[in-house]
Amino acid sequence: MANTFTRTLAALTGLLMFAAIYMTFVFVPTEAEQGIVQRIFYFHVPCAWVAFAAFGIVAISGIFYLWLGGQIWDDLGYTCAEIGMVFCTLVLVTGSIWARPIWGVWWTWDSRLTTTLILWLLYGGYLMLRAMAGDSPQVARFAAVIGIVAAADVPVIVVSVRLWRTIHPAVLITKQGQHGLTDPRMVATLLVALAAFTALFALLLLIRFASLRTRSRLAALERELNLIDAAAGDL
Amino acid sequence: MMDAPAIEARGLFKSFGAAPVLRGIDLAIAPGRALMIIGRNGAGKSTLLRLLAGLGAPNDGEVRLFGTPSRKLEAADRRRLGMLTHQSFLYPNLTARENLEFYCALYRVADSAAAIGRWLERVGLARFAAERVRAFSRGMEQRLALARALIHRPDALLMDEPFAALDPDGAELAATLIREALARGCAVALTAHRAFDLDAGRCTARELVRGRLLDAPANAASAERAEYPPAHPGVGAR
Amino acid sequence: MAGFVAVLRKDLTLELRGGESTLALVALSILILIVMVFALNPAGGAADAPIAAGALWVAMIFAGMAGAARTVLAERDNGCLRALYLSPLDRGAIFLAKLAAASIFMVVAEAAVVLMLVLFFNLDFDLRLVRMLPALALGLIGFAALATLLAAISGRVHAGDLLMPLLAVPMYVPALIAGVKASAAALGGAQWSAMGQWLRIMIAFDVLFVAAGFILFEHLLGED
Repeated sequence: MANTFTRTLAALTGLLMFAAIYMTFVFVPTEAEQGIVQRIFYFHVPCAWVAFAAFGIVAISGIFYLWLGGQIWDDLGYTCAEIGMVFCTLVLVTGSIWARPIWGVWWTWDSRLTTTLILWLLYGGYLMLRAMAGDSPQVARFAAVIGIVAAADVPVIVVSVRLWRTIHPAVLITKQGQHGLTDPRMVATLLVALAAFTALFALLLLIRFASLRTRSRLAALERELNLIDAAAGDL
Repeated sequence: MMDAPAIEARGLFKSFGAAPVLRGIDLAIAPGRALMIIGRNGAGKSTLLRLLAGLGAPNDGEVRLFGTPSRKLEAADRRRLGMLTHQSFLYPNLTARENLEFYCALYRVADSAAAIGRWLERVGLARFAAERVRAFSRGMEQRLALARALIHRPDALLMDEPFAALDPDGAELAATLIREALARGCAVALTAHRAFDLDAGRCTARELVRGRLLDAPANAASAERAEYPPAHPGVGAR
Repeated sequence: MAGFVAVLRKDLTLELRGGESTLALVALSILILIVMVFALNPAGGAADAPIAAGALWVAMIFAGMAGAARTVLAERDNGCLRALYLSPLDRGAIFLAKLAAASIFMVVAEAAVVLMLVLFFNLDFDLRLVRMLPALALGLIGFAALATLLAAISGRVHAGDLLMPLLAVPMYVPALIAGVKASAAALGGAQWSAMGQWLRIMIAFDVLFVAAGFILFEHLLGED
């Protein structure tokens, strides 16, 4: 598993992550209005990016699984659903930590937070299906369908939630404009953080995917071994 | 030269979890021929038929019906397939006639009213045509299921223990119906616990043992009184 | 088309003949409505419009979850779902027939629920109720499509009855938001124009899930 590529990627991820942490805590200037807590932004946004990317891959691999078959697509979809779920959770947690000092509440039905929560519930359902229904090609097809439908549903969710909030403005004004990155160092920090989290995503994907592939191959080997056993019994 | 097989399987492997059920099944059934698959409980007979129908996917190997992979059968070819399983595919809250009407509509049977009357007569249920299937005995349900599986005159017929739950008359009726189907060129795969003389000229019996299809006595008639003891004790549960 | 009609006719026959879907839907919807009345304690008057709309939609999705899926679940008896899969009927047509049957059952149930809503919340039978109908109809079709799609899953996996709400509710969020908003606006006396954007969302949702069910149902019906 730990081949050269994985090791290189791990080293790269570590490097980028250190850079991102350094830039977030030391290099980047403190945002004028929100103060020190705004720095969580440099983790919050990359997490959201990774979650969205992962859920996107779930849908794409679902399409490929239904179209071409092949355990590999199912393994990829499962991997990405798990990783997406982790980062989606991080988005909610960092969002909550950020909201408390700025808006004075842990949770507000801000449109982005709400959308993230719905996504979290959606893919939680997906993972529940996989956990409860077990491993079989049939469950893999079910999961593929759910993955596709969920992703197709996301734009509708985004639009509806946004309209819902515009019509009924929150008590706490959520000026997304405050993210305005006034300083070029802020942009640089965000970019490095995005790169770091993308690399982390790739690394986690690689490791977890490899382990699922191994599990699938193991199951196939076990099947074959049983076949050989049975063939020996014929003699 | 034989006709191109209507039902064909090559190198069929199927495991549930890691447990092998079918281990390299090859079979080919030409139109007008029958293959009788003999096996004990749990030998994998039903699994094999399900795979042949395209209801399940094999781990390895291929099933073809009328030359097409059975999982990718077009509607026109699905119309030519008839299946009888241990589930009757009948709606308990519909009457016998309504059940047949429904399947006639699905399979677009021409002149369905006449066909339904004929078939109800044939399977001895004409008196019960207006009764709901839920009130039927298991044997009556099996008779109706026979009519249900045959009413669209399929060209390939998969029958999982067609004689189960039938009285001697019913079993004779089922055998007659199968012979008629064979005579008009239908390919038949059926399963049974023991071989018997169905149609010596057209029927081949093979035994499913431990997931493999063995050549049973070539002359099925001679196997009529054979007891089929377990060839390998203790593997029936596989 | 003939197959679609056959399946739908068969489902309606079965339902008239002591199928419990519609009755259960009505009973459950009314119970949920009563629970909502107790929980929210409406004061009476115009301020209740959003509460009434909310109660109506909660009743619809939770009763629908139990009822709309039944058209698919009923096919499991005696392996009839397999029979449909093996038949020449297009698998998309199976979905549409099941969706149509579920929609019809839900329409009947919702008619009863709206009646109860008028009684419980002291509404008037006037244009405001009529303005609510498009949202209700769209929401109902969307939910029937979603429930039919998911029933093919929930009916055939371990603990599927638990999975149904876990998957259905988050997916239904857009239609739920739009439906509640449009209904509240209608009951509050708003004009058609105020509902346009919500109805558009519901149409998008319906198109998405009917199309998804039509295309993907085949993959859900297959077995191992």
